[in-house]
Amino acid sequence: MQNAGMNIEDKGGDKLVLHVGPQHPGSGHFRLIITVDGDYIVGAKPDPGYVHRGAEKMAEYRDYIQNIPHLERPVIIDATGVTLPYVLAAEKIIDVEAPERAQYIRMIMAELNRVISHLYWLGIYGIFLGHSTMFMWPMGDRELFIDLAESIGGTRVTFSYVVPGGVRNDMPTHFKERALKTFDYFEKRIEEYKKIFFNNPIMTARTESIGIMSQADAIKLGITGSNLRAAGIDSDTRKDEPYCLYDRVDFEIPTRKEGDSYARCIVRLEELQQSMNIIKQVLDLIEPGPIKQVIGGVMRGEPGEAFVRTEAARGTMFYHIVSNGEKYPYRVKISVPSFRNLIGMTHLLVGSKLADMPAIYWSLDYWPVEADR
Amino acid sequence: METFEEFVKRILTILFWLIIVLPIIIFPILFLVVGLLGIDVIIVNEILTAAIDPLKAIKLAERYGLGFSSTFFKIAVFPGFTFAALIATFTILYERKLLAKVQLRVGPLYAGRFEGILQPIADLFKLLGKELVVPEKADKMFFWAAPILSIGLAASLLSVIPLSPTIYIARSEFSLLIPFAILGFSPLVVLIAAWASSNKFAFIGGLRALHQLAAYEIPMLLSILGIVILTGSFDLMKIVEAQKDIWFIFPQFLAAIIFYITILSELERIPFDLPEAETEIVSGWLTEYTGMHFGLLQLGVYMKFYALALLFTLLFLGGWNGPAFLPPIVWLLGKLFFVITIIIFPRAVLPRLRMDQLIRIGWAWLIALSFINIFIAVIESSLGII
Amino acid sequence: MSAKFATENQLAKSLKDQFKNKIKEEYVESNRIKISTSPENLKNLAIAVKELGFEQVMSQGGTDYPENNVYRIEYHIICVSKKKLRSIIFSIMTEIPKDKPEIETLIDVFPSAEFHEQETFENFGITFIGHPRMERLLLPEDWNDIPPLRKDYILPGRG
Repeated sequence: MQNAGMNIEDKGGDKLVLHVGPQHPGSGHFRLIITVDGDYIVGAKPDPGYVHRGAEKMAEYRDYIQNIPHLERPVIIDATGVTLPYVLAAEKIIDVEAPERAQYIRMIMAELNRVISHLYWLGIYGIFLGHSTMFMWPMGDRELFIDLAESIGGTRVTFSYVVPGGVRNDMPTHFKERALKTFDYFEKRIEEYKKIFFNNPIMTARTESIGIMSQADAIKLGITGSNLRAAGIDSDTRKDEPYCLYDRVDFEIPTRKEGDSYARCIVRLEELQQSMNIIKQVLDLIEPGPIKQVIGGVMRGEPGEAFVRTEAARGTMFYHIVSNGEKYPYRVKISVPSFRNLIGMTHLLVGSKLADMPAIYWSLDYWPVEADR
Repeated sequence: METFEEFVKRILTILFWLIIVLPIIIFPILFLVVGLLGIDVIIVNEILTAAIDPLKAIKLAERYGLGFSSTFFKIAVFPGFTFAALIATFTILYERKLLAKVQLRVGPLYAGRFEGILQPIADLFKLLGKELVVPEKADKMFFWAAPILSIGLAASLLSVIPLSPTIYIARSEFSLLIPFAILGFSPLVVLIAAWASSNKFAFIGGLRALHQLAAYEIPMLLSILGIVILTGSFDLMKIVEAQKDIWFIFPQFLAAIIFYITILSELERIPFDLPEAETEIVSGWLTEYTGMHFGLLQLGVYMKFYALALLFTLLFLGGWNGPAFLPPIVWLLGKLFFVITIIIFPRAVLPRLRMDQLIRIGWAWLIALSFINIFIAVIESSLGII
Repeated sequence: MSAKFATENQLAKSLKDQFKNKIKEEYVESNRIKISTSPENLKNLAIAVKELGFEQVMSQGGTDYPENNVYRIEYHIICVSKKKLRSIIFSIMTEIPKDKPEIETLIDVFPSAEFHEQETFENFGITFIGHPRMERLLLPEDWNDIPPLRKDYILPGRG
């Protein structure tokens, strides 16, 4: 029987090279070239770049306002998370500061976006493990938070809401009641999530002590975000270098010591609760006031540069903007968390089983579009 | 793309030509052939009228030994292939609706106006309309053979399983063993499909299926041995009759659990759907199959589903036994519905296992438990409980 | 001023003591330190920064300055495990001539720089000597224009 379609590697002859993606239900816009020996993965080479658009180059051809919707595109799922550091950096260059109320609304939007992004992640993680109910439930509940964010930002996902000098428009008047009602409902749902998924014996058997990222490796490889916290390091930019007014709210940084896939899951689940906790506190603290410092004319940066990092849903989002006093930024360097976490994927996959590939791959919350920019 | 008007125009053109072609060419040829060969005109007349009159068709069928009580009817229609296929398509719809309710969705809703009742028919037409893609590097003969083998295997499973004391296709003293003997071929079909596709993911899926089915066939056979010890017969009729007083699920509870788990594995359902694990190996051994090929494979799987659910009902839930105010077949179908529900339900609440975990459950736990179950059966039998 | 950024100044001073005039302090601000050096010294400086307690490269990028005929390469290095250093982003910077775009890799000092250096390679055409995989990462395989983040590459339709 001919088997010319099967590319069994010449060396050794018993190793199979699998191309997971870009046309694969478990890959996203991304290719992972996996070599398997029996059921074990002996080599894994990530091949990103399928959705690379050159966002950094294109940002050099857009002024500071035009760049907001542009730079939002790579991570529309976490739109505020990706534009907020850009706006903070741009504010440093243009030399404006947002009023207090605007800072609070930015925090609300950033945390809502974190919830939206984590719920999306949770849904996909459910279906990656073959749990279709866990795909449908978070995707359904995510709509509630999208509705909340929509009532502030005006659109469902791509808000372009945070602008240099403040935010685009004010919150609706009954936002607080609406938000608290949603949070009450969702806290009950989290318990149901735990019952059906997080405490499910098969789920724990699939993820516990799978893909262990030790603390030393996490530091060495530059892992960031929830993956770093699951390895036992309580590093969170919101605490380390508070931006907006995060120093005025009180929240915890969920951490786990194990560093396995399950730890990464449970850290994200607890981050959902912390995000709602932050929004509740902000809703108590927020006071009426101006929401925007109006900048006349075209925004022109002072010659100079600014580095800003914030905690986006997937980890630390870093912007380095260089300005030479023109209307357009001279150079925009974006360092995205997914791109930094990608290095951990090879590290974790080699030596694990093929069946663990989805359990490890998506537990890193790798978002190909974000990594490629 | 064809617009609707063009579509209607095309249909009308075809009809127009048909109307012209029929009287000018086909009918003259028909009469010529009939007259020249000296065939009895009445038969031709009957066949032609039967084509438009179902009542006459039934009479005609009965005259030539194809009526309701004939073997052909039993195999092809009831309780054979068509009935099984209907139950299988109903199962697909029911599964989708049930999962949708668990997941706070609505599921199929539009086809057939009432809760998407005609969705299976819509799916069938969708699959029929699709192009059959056979990969260039595939082994064509076996690639085509696999769907047919799959559905043939599933249909032959039904040959000796009775639905009631009077409704059955064939009787055999070994009607319990025959389905299991046929089930033993199902890894072969999967392997043929996987190997013929010449696709890496299909290949891995096929190997996984082989491992899995081999690991679960043995506990499945061992689990029914208890019942054989209690009844002293391999005949499903006698096994069902033995459950007049007490269903075997009570004395043989362990066997029922083992049998249920092995059914899930045999049908490759979550949490044992590793051969089709979508996020790992695309669609496993089904990866390269499209259109009606896929439809036939899927139908084969669901007919196997029906056969195994039926076996569970007969072996453990007392088959058609029940109070006499309803006919036996209704009791059987009611119990079958319940069994189908509990087979579907894990898909809503469980994720997928990993290969080594699955093999360990099969070889280490289920086989050991089924031996314990045989001891239980021996003790029960010697104490005279049954 | 100096009392305000005590940690930052202390860090910068310890490096200055070590390297004397081989390095230049660009600026020391709240949570930000930027130090420039010559390309030959970059690796020694990185080792010294690592000894100060900084652990991973958060970002590495280049900037093209056609008027000075140089590429500026920056590493933004952070620390995640030590509470005291967490708020600081330590930037080390160097400038390499455009006609000989080569520099020694920092991957053996900071393994986290691997993909960042690959990205800078494809976007600027700067070769990192000693990097095990100097190959395309994000750009398409059939890209045959000049590296896109150089200033002399003009976006189609934006010239």
